[in-house]
Amino acid sequence: MARWEVSRTTGTVDRRTAVLGAVALLLTLGVVAGGLLAGGVALDEDIYAVAVSPDSPYHEPVAQSTPLEPVPVGAPGADVYVDDRDPSDREASVSVADTPKGEAALAAFRSAVERHNGRLLAAEANQSAAFPVGVTLSYVERASERVGASDGAVGAGAAGDAGGGAGGSGDADTGAGGGDAAGGGGSGDGALGVPDFGGAAGPLFGGQPTGSPAEIAPPFPFSSLVLAFAFLVPMNFVIQAYGSTILNERINRRGELLLVAPLSKTDIVAGKTLPYAGVALAATAVIAAGVSVASGGGGGPLSVAAVFPIALVFLAATFVGAMFARSFKELTFVTVTVSVALTTYAFVPAIFATVTPVALISPLTLVVRDLQGEAVSIGEYLFSTGPFYLVAGTLFALGIGVYREEDMFTQRAVPLKFLDALAVRLHRPSDVALLAALSLPFVFVAELLALALLFALPQGAAIVGLLVVVAVVEEFAKGVAVFAGFHGSRFEADLPTALKLGALSGAGFFVAEKATGVVQIVGLGSLPLGEAAFATSGVGADIGVLGGLALLALPLVLHVVTAAVAAVGATRGIRSWLLTLAVAMAIHFAYDLTVVSALG
Amino acid sequence: MGDDARAEGGDRDRRVDTDGGGAGVPADAPNPVPGTVAAGDRTGRDPRWTIAKRELASLRAEKTIVLALLIQLFVAAFSSFLVVGLVSLYDPGSAAGYSVETAVAGDDAGDLARAVDRTDGMDARLFGSRQAAADAFADGRVDAAMLATGTTQGRVEVRVLVPDSNVATTLVVVRAREALRAFERLERDQRSASLTAETLALPPSAGASPYFGFTYTVLVPLLLFLPVFIAGSVTVDSLTEELERGTLELLRVAPVTMTDIVEGKLLAAAGLAPVQAALWLGLLSVNGTAIAPGGGPLATAVGVLALLGLTAGLAALVTALGAALALTAPDRRAAQTVYSLGVLGLFGLAALSPVNPANVAARLAVGNPDATSFLAVGVVVVLGAVAVAAARVGVARYGPA
Repeated sequence: MARWEVSRTTGTVDRRTAVLGAVALLLTLGVVAGGLLAGGVALDEDIYAVAVSPDSPYHEPVAQSTPLEPVPVGAPGADVYVDDRDPSDREASVSVADTPKGEAALAAFRSAVERHNGRLLAAEANQSAAFPVGVTLSYVERASERVGASDGAVGAGAAGDAGGGAGGSGDADTGAGGGDAAGGGGSGDGALGVPDFGGAAGPLFGGQPTGSPAEIAPPFPFSSLVLAFAFLVPMNFVIQAYGSTILNERINRRGELLLVAPLSKTDIVAGKTLPYAGVALAATAVIAAGVSVASGGGGGPLSVAAVFPIALVFLAATFVGAMFARSFKELTFVTVTVSVALTTYAFVPAIFATVTPVALISPLTLVVRDLQGEAVSIGEYLFSTGPFYLVAGTLFALGIGVYREEDMFTQRAVPLKFLDALAVRLHRPSDVALLAALSLPFVFVAELLALALLFALPQGAAIVGLLVVVAVVEEFAKGVAVFAGFHGSRFEADLPTALKLGALSGAGFFVAEKATGVVQIVGLGSLPLGEAAFATSGVGADIGVLGGLALLALPLVLHVVTAAVAAVGATRGIRSWLLTLAVAMAIHFAYDLTVVSALG
Repeated sequence: MGDDARAEGGDRDRRVDTDGGGAGVPADAPNPVPGTVAAGDRTGRDPRWTIAKRELASLRAEKTIVLALLIQLFVAAFSSFLVVGLVSLYDPGSAAGYSVETAVAGDDAGDLARAVDRTDGMDARLFGSRQAAADAFADGRVDAAMLATGTTQGRVEVRVLVPDSNVATTLVVVRAREALRAFERLERDQRSASLTAETLALPPSAGASPYFGFTYTVLVPLLLFLPVFIAGSVTVDSLTEELERGTLELLRVAPVTMTDIVEGKLLAAAGLAPVQAALWLGLLSVNGTAIAPGGGPLATAVGVLALLGLTAGLAALVTALGAALALTAPDRRAAQTVYSLGVLGLFGLAALSPVNPANVAARLAVGNPDATSFLAVGVVVVLGAVAVAAARVGVARYGPA
């Protein structure tokens, strides 16, 4: 099957297309290489006008700065006016247009002058007078280590070669608890600290820990992020081709032949998917190799292993999208939605890779750490990638369910197809519990995304917002399978059945939710926000055996009750379902709020 | 800019057409055949409009246009969230009220403490010895510690201890850097006798919004160019789908020429881009981001028109490219992949050229355009018109028979 897919793909590409494709690929690669060589593209070139006379010493920094454009003194509409009466002294009076743009221009002007001064000083013969202050940043895990600083540990060395001063990460955590780690800069990089930037990799990853004050920077792994982003780019091309081939089967009943072939549906889909997963894997491996060459180390097998589940989810989501979409246009938008949403999910948390453990929800964080040469434990790997594997598996299972004649060749609206896909899986009432359990990875992903996004808000508002998201997402996840069952007339639409299905759905969800115990592996519960998200499921609460049991039983009751409430409405069509769903969400929210405030 | 002007004012023109009872019908318009796609001709309308209308109706029916707008909004919100979030981490003023207590100890501690105190959002506490300061830090009595040591070369080495915990780390480091830079200037002034280079006095510091530049240099070009990219993609999809489903044959038995079909599709796709761009620009100005401010209403109108012209020209260029690709490589997989790669490549190429379209858009939007910016807009519009004309000729000559 896979071989057939490959041969057909190469078969449909005629020579003209191949040439065009090669030209486009070369063009893109050439441009990327050119852009790298030219040192990036300036988007902000000459966006502010600075009126400065050409004789003024301030003309040079303005002319050299990218966002600033020098204009003659009399020119109208400038943002900053430099009035330099005496070009021989090193001062001038500066006035600014009273607009936001003027303020922004002034800030840019100030930093341009600062950089200009820095350049002048770098050419200075007496370097110790030009840069009289050397700085060494040490990130200290206060809970576990103590810094000894009684003697002049820094020594007489220049800041540039501060091998000993730069955190001495080798024997970093020896000073745990005691105050006896004196000498030799015995601080160090804690569990999540900034890695030792040494050698060639130094300038590549921001966050310089030593140097003059202008050189130090907070731990922001900008370059690593850009490199990590490079891993996501080829996915978009792969899923485009993959979505096309799936939808192709559905156009003009072409897939009919395949369906009557002596192959199971799983075989067909696996065969069609394999080449694309292979391409994605190969592309990832090539990029990993390229990154590892470019950054001089880092970017090994771990990066590939971390990116692969992302690729699988990309493919799985596209597969389901292609099964649901009615036309190529719709598929394009489904594909774009998939890539935008997944990129966000993978990318946003990775920004905080060095800052907070929440970042671990994205496998890209693993890539960033790998690039920075940090170790990643197996528990962290599972935590990051586990939801992705589960999501990919569930999505494929859903899509394969509707990979059949009556769904493939009909034009139905996307939500209806979704309900169909769920209904296909429902044969016995206990299947509802299974579906509810399987929805957990999606719930988990949605909640973690909310966690990562709400993280920036003030804590009180963030927790309330998070609880709302939790209630909405969980109730929807539990209810939708039940609704699909009734909608597809899989079950009797009467009250006892509804209550039974609701109870099963709630119980299935509850069992799966206990899997969130993995959050403890990475200590996510130590974050106040993480507590709010997971305390309600009985994880991470330290309140004794009895309380623990109560906390275990209560969520079960909660899930069963709310799911049953929603299920009753589901028997009578979409409107009443939405109504009862809202009620269930309200109950859920009220319960969560009570638990969080009682525990907090 | 013939074709583009039409594309830009798509909706208006159509209305005028209906009202005016078919004022703009070409003399050689084909005879209407009831019951076919070209039935719109009965009202005396150009068949191209009928095709364009059909395209728009299909976009509406599948709600893809809503999805497209949502995607654009999401991308914009996502990038803004990213920048605003990051900037608020990096901008000491934003976390007002939170002051970083800093333990200062060691040689020259007095000067250092003064520099720290003068920095916004930092408070210095002097300690007698470095060990005392480090202990205060370890016990959590202060948020950061600066331990200064004089060296034999006359420099001051400052060891900065920051908590390795969370977002606060970033904040502490950013503020500490400000303080240390002030300290460096202080120390440098004391050593100015042994310096030959004459530095410039710094201009006053500004209370500028740190994401002002981002809005104009990233957000505006992003919102202008995303619809353009999607327009080309829609053209590729629409044409390859007709080819693969065989419905193009149906269209062709209708009394419309292949040129009409392709033009209609181009019109629908390319016409949407400037409309969306106008929508985003309108939303941005409602949101307090003035587009092309300064220089009075006339300059603003010219700037907005130039931005829309730029979008329309690019959309025409990209959709014509998409149409050409769709007809050359009728397999959607190949056509879409080549299209995305090609447009990315072309856009990158344009970005490397002296007149980067994103930069042109940024300069127009921020209100600091020069003659080159308008020249670039003109060139893009002309190129778009040429591309559409070329696609037209190409379809007429080489299109599927």
